Amino acid sequence: MMHHGFKRYIGLATLVLILALVTLGTASAQPSPIHPTFPLLDENGVNVLESGNPVSVMKTCGGCHDADLIESHSFHSQVGLNHMYPAGQAPSGRPWDTSKGLFGLWDPITYRYLSPLGDKTIDLTTADWIKVYGSHHAGGGPAVTSREGLPLKDLPVSADNPETSTVNPETGKLEAWDWKKSGAVEDNCFLCHMPDPNNEARIETLEKGEFGWASTATLLGTGIVLPKADGEGMTYNKDAFDDQGNLKKDVLPLQSPSSDNCGQCHGKVQTDVTTALTYADFSDADWTTQRTGQIFSGQRISDSALNIAGKSKLKRSWDVHAERNLKCTDCHYAINNPAYYEPPKELNPKHLTFEPRRPDIADYLQKPLHEFARGAVTKDEVGATFTESMRRCESCHDYKSTHTWLPYEDRHAQKLSCEACHIPTMHATAIQQNDWTVINKEGKGVLTYRGVGGDGNPRNPNNLMAGYNPILLPRYDTEGNAKLAPFNLVSSWYWVYGDPARPVRQMDLKKAFFDNQGDYKAEIIAAFDTNGDRRLSAAELRIDNDAKENAVRAQLEALGLANPRIQAEVQPYSISHNATWGQYSTRDCKSCHSDDSRVSQSLLLASYTPGGVTPALVGDVNMEATGDLVPGAHGELYYQPSTAKEGLYLPGHDRVKWIDWLGILMMLGVFAGVFVHGGLRIIASAHNAATHHGRTRKLYLYTFYERLWHWTQALAIIMLILTGTVIHRPDLFGAFDLGAMVPVHNALGFLLLFNAFFALFYFLAGHTVQQFLPEPKGFFHQALQQAMFYGRGIFKGEPHPFEKNEKRKMNPLQQMTYLVILNVLLPLQIITGILIWGAQRWPALSDAIGGLRYIAPFHTLIAWSFAAFVIMHMYLTTTGHTPLAAVEGMITGWEEVEVEEDDHSNEITV
Amino acid sequence: MLHKNKNWIIGILITLIIFGIPIALVAIPRAASQKIDNPRANLPQHPVPTDHSGFFADADFKTGQEVTEACLACHPDAGKEMLKNNHFTWTHKYDISEVPGVHDNVLGLGDEVLTGKKYVLNNFCITVKPNWPACTACHAGYGWADDAFNFDDPNNIDCLACHDNTGYYVKAKTGVPAKSVDLVDIAKHVGNPTRLNCGTCHFRGGGGDAVKHGDLDNSLINPTRELDVHMGGEDMVCTDCHRAEHHVMKGRSISVSLDDENQAHCTDCHSQTPHQDDRLDMHTRTVACQTCHIPTFARKEATKTYWDWSQAGKDLPITNPHEYLKIKGKFVYERDVVPTYAWYNGVVADRYLIGDKFDPSKELALNPPAGDINDPNAKIFPFKVHHATQPYDKQYDILLTPHTFGPGGYWSDFDWDKALRAGAEAFGLPYSGDYGFARTAMYWPTTHMVAPKEDALQCNACHTPDGSPGRLDWKALGYEGDPMIYGSRKINLETANANPGGQQ
Repeated sequence: MMHHGFKRYIGLATLVLILALVTLGTASAQPSPIHPTFPLLDENGVNVLESGNPVSVMKTCGGCHDADLIESHSFHSQVGLNHMYPAGQAPSGRPWDTSKGLFGLWDPITYRYLSPLGDKTIDLTTADWIKVYGSHHAGGGPAVTSREGLPLKDLPVSADNPETSTVNPETGKLEAWDWKKSGAVEDNCFLCHMPDPNNEARIETLEKGEFGWASTATLLGTGIVLPKADGEGMTYNKDAFDDQGNLKKDVLPLQSPSSDNCGQCHGKVQTDVTTALTYADFSDADWTTQRTGQIFSGQRISDSALNIAGKSKLKRSWDVHAERNLKCTDCHYAINNPAYYEPPKELNPKHLTFEPRRPDIADYLQKPLHEFARGAVTKDEVGATFTESMRRCESCHDYKSTHTWLPYEDRHAQKLSCEACHIPTMHATAIQQNDWTVINKEGKGVLTYRGVGGDGNPRNPNNLMAGYNPILLPRYDTEGNAKLAPFNLVSSWYWVYGDPARPVRQMDLKKAFFDNQGDYKAEIIAAFDTNGDRRLSAAELRIDNDAKENAVRAQLEALGLANPRIQAEVQPYSISHNATWGQYSTRDCKSCHSDDSRVSQSLLLASYTPGGVTPALVGDVNMEATGDLVPGAHGELYYQPSTAKEGLYLPGHDRVKWIDWLGILMMLGVFAGVFVHGGLRIIASAHNAATHHGRTRKLYLYTFYERLWHWTQALAIIMLILTGTVIHRPDLFGAFDLGAMVPVHNALGFLLLFNAFFALFYFLAGHTVQQFLPEPKGFFHQALQQAMFYGRGIFKGEPHPFEKNEKRKMNPLQQMTYLVILNVLLPLQIITGILIWGAQRWPALSDAIGGLRYIAPFHTLIAWSFAAFVIMHMYLTTTGHTPLAAVEGMITGWEEVEVEEDDHSNEITV
Repeated sequence: MLHKNKNWIIGILITLIIFGIPIALVAIPRAASQKIDNPRANLPQHPVPTDHSGFFADADFKTGQEVTEACLACHPDAGKEMLKNNHFTWTHKYDISEVPGVHDNVLGLGDEVLTGKKYVLNNFCITVKPNWPACTACHAGYGWADDAFNFDDPNNIDCLACHDNTGYYVKAKTGVPAKSVDLVDIAKHVGNPTRLNCGTCHFRGGGGDAVKHGDLDNSLINPTRELDVHMGGEDMVCTDCHRAEHHVMKGRSISVSLDDENQAHCTDCHSQTPHQDDRLDMHTRTVACQTCHIPTFARKEATKTYWDWSQAGKDLPITNPHEYLKIKGKFVYERDVVPTYAWYNGVVADRYLIGDKFDPSKELALNPPAGDINDPNAKIFPFKVHHATQPYDKQYDILLTPHTFGPGGYWSDFDWDKALRAGAEAFGLPYSGDYGFARTAMYWPTTHMVAPKEDALQCNACHTPDGSPGRLDWKALGYEGDPMIYGSRKINLETANANPGGQQ
């Protein structure tokens, strides 16, 4: 029974064999020229030519390499086995998860789950898990060793033990599984180290439960192993071996893993860029591509044969690193590979910039750790220790030298991952919503894709692929720093039952939805078929009302499942591949610094919410979802990120509304005051023909430096207000280049600061500072007197209450105002300005007082006050002897001032 | 008053300085960070042509010569210039020391060697002589039908072929105006040469559209930006790059020239390091611009890549003139062809001269490009290689020059022996009567139809991550392997010319 069905291989394998023999020696990939020939051994160490048994990779490769070390230090093998948790205690938070890897961590998209030991109802036993998930498992780990750490083959065979049994798909009952007969799935070196492993044959062998033959099946097509003529099992081809029983040279080329090897499980990889990418190249086994849209290919998107929106203009490659000839292993290298390994800088003593001590190449080849360097992926799987062990963008790229055009480049780097700008758009489709509350005719949950139009089928060439903009969310690095990074959010809805909860098995869902003929049950049709055509359309096959939910629940309860209920979760997938270069990256300031900011762009989570259940973020992720779930008008659900909750303040995007309103009110008030007061003055002067014409004289009131100081300050403040307005509301002033305004604003700010320092020195050193200081004695009375003049006297043409002279250039109200402006507002504005400017170099400083979220609005508020002051000040200069006397005075130094009647010091100072 | 004004000026100046300096300090580095390379600034300004429509009121031009006479009445220098011009003489004179390669020539080479279209042999229609009338339809002169043509009479110059701006000027056999042409009207509408003027001959070399060059064909009369970024994207004309001074056009091609003097270069307008990427700029030391920026040739119209003269003269049931013609033999036309890449320093390593002995057991390269990995002036350059089989004398091992066009020619009588004998006589070549067909190859530099930058080759066209073959055969070019891994050539490029490799 084990070799049944091998006939299907014959045609294909013979063809592949011929092709392989023809192309031998001109193989496209570069096999290692130094790998010696070797015999293929079975698990007893006997040459397979003699025994005819399956190849044991551990024995064959283990002849030279430390196969045990490789298998035990490889998360591709262990997939969580070495970090198992009791059910309910796994960090992901799901009660049925038992690890952080493929063996025990549930993926609601593939849905089948490894039942925790002790469960009465079993979805997947260990053997079933291999049949379902072995396609994405390198072998070894849980396919060889039990959860207790014993060889599976040594376990006493018992139908009661999920490690030595299988679920009968017909009855749902456990049946004994004899590992000795099936063999275990050894860590499969061939799968990753051969140029063209036969993964299809390997997977088919696994699905049939012929575990021991999986590694051997990987060799089908090389000519080493052939399907038996009668179609039952495999036999070895003596022609591929030399007289000593070793494989002939070049029959089995071995190499460092190519990107194609990695792509077999991880996602769509295309290394031959001369052939257009087509729909036929994709499959549901491309997990990463299916979940995020990432495609590792150096081909220009415009050269693909996919129906992509705006394709002809997309001259960028799918992935700039693939285009520039990087392989997966260039970043995800084995962490003791001496060619790549470098200890993290912080582990080096301060005086060392390079650590030359590393494994010898021979040591490495014997004991290559198969823990691969990796980045900060969201799903913290089994290699947590190695998170961020790989080279990050910054390890290779000099950010500074290529971002000189970007103002505040440090600040941007503190808050943004490289990917945030360099992966602006995913041009392929990705899963949006995964609904297992219902099943389709194939017995699977309903997947909805984002980034595709038409009927929503991502493989239908008639559907335009518009792609999607990944959402930017704070992602934590190992040091706990949050940077915005691109994500896809996939939300899943599914039924659970019992306590502790377990997902309803796919088998039970089928029983609940289908009758014996595999058609939807009458009860299901009755509840779901809204248009009465006895068929369930895609729009009908979703739980969007209580009747549907109750109908399914009744069916599940009828199966004996206690308290069936709908649960939902959101799984974030971080996106680090498919980066592009500058031209195609987000680089326009206003992409983020505007109302319509990329940073706060929402993402459609789901077009409907089955059972009205709101999904929650899964546990154990290295990112934060502080935003809000916002329901749409038609039952859809959006995720809306919030810069405020992410602790960000984006100039141009973020502002405190009440401050702007207050500022506008302040300005309106000043304008109203000026108009009323000025208007009354004009009316009064017309009535008061006999205005007070006191004697006047010209005084040299302002020295050259004082005037220079004043006008520098005036001009600086006005220009600061103008540039600041553009920075505050770039959306209203589209004509101005935000990127240019910011450095100009900063320069003006420093100009203002230096101007203030020089002036302070001037007035202190020249002992003229007292002109700014109000005399405490009688100050209140005098201020009142001045106010009365502005309120009444000025209309009657009365003289100014205080004579202006060299000693006393300002009235008490002026003194008070300037004291506040120059000693409170100006310093505050300069300090807050410096803090905002310094957020780039000394972020701790601004963070210490709450960060830009508080400082920036405060800066805005003071700016409004300055604007109001400037208007008021300009108006009040007209209240001198003549409307322009004061302005003239500040320009020439000479001002014509009124002389008090009883003043006898009549000397004209020239 | 003056004093007051002076104060104003000083005050404004000081304020300007106070504000100008800090703003300039932040603005200038920002502007400088955007590299400036403005090739458009280097485009020539063409003179506005004089309106000739008011002239020739009483003229009744019967022949082209009469038009030329009228032209020369006002432009006497043009006549003197053109009498010495390549477009008229089809001749280039070299000292024997300037001729590359080893030549065992049955005619014997003197101290001077004549080349140019008039004297060299190709692997298309082979020679001009003794087939003048067909070939000289594209001669910038009138009536070149035999050896007796007067190259000293300025009236024999054809001004209109290059200066007609109506588009209705057509030349017949021997280069005289076709009967239908209204010469007076044409003469009234002359101006600067357009793409059509140049293209009438250069787009149709080899006897038809797109035949000869892989990068010049009629699609360039009104090209799109995608086809040619210069002529389509910028509406440039030929003379923007092939600038003329006293009627001498910039530009050389190794199909006829042995030198690269007065060559037109990309760097006439573009900088040597025009990319915003250091790694790409490093490539310009070893890779010609054309190599990446002309990813394929014959992008619009198929061009001839193979011509088998040995199949001529048969009555084959093939009606497609792009596959077979009884007078010419079998052809292969290809479209969107990946060029052949070779080191190239701007000149030929050898040039087959009429009468040269060769080894017929191997394919003979008529004009192989010079240069190799150790030549600091050489860069990797794209070529269209035209392969052919063409007649040769089996006794003397020399290529033969058949008489094809005209009475008694092969195209009339389909008699090889007669045609080859007549051709040999015309050149004074020995002919044994024992002829065969030798394999030859001709190199055509690919330099037009530059694609927009977004269509330029990417890294992975030549450098492949898994060592699979890319466009360049590294070992054949002299590298240890992919220079991405093994490093670039280790030679001192400091000694290289400013414009090495020709046609960069």
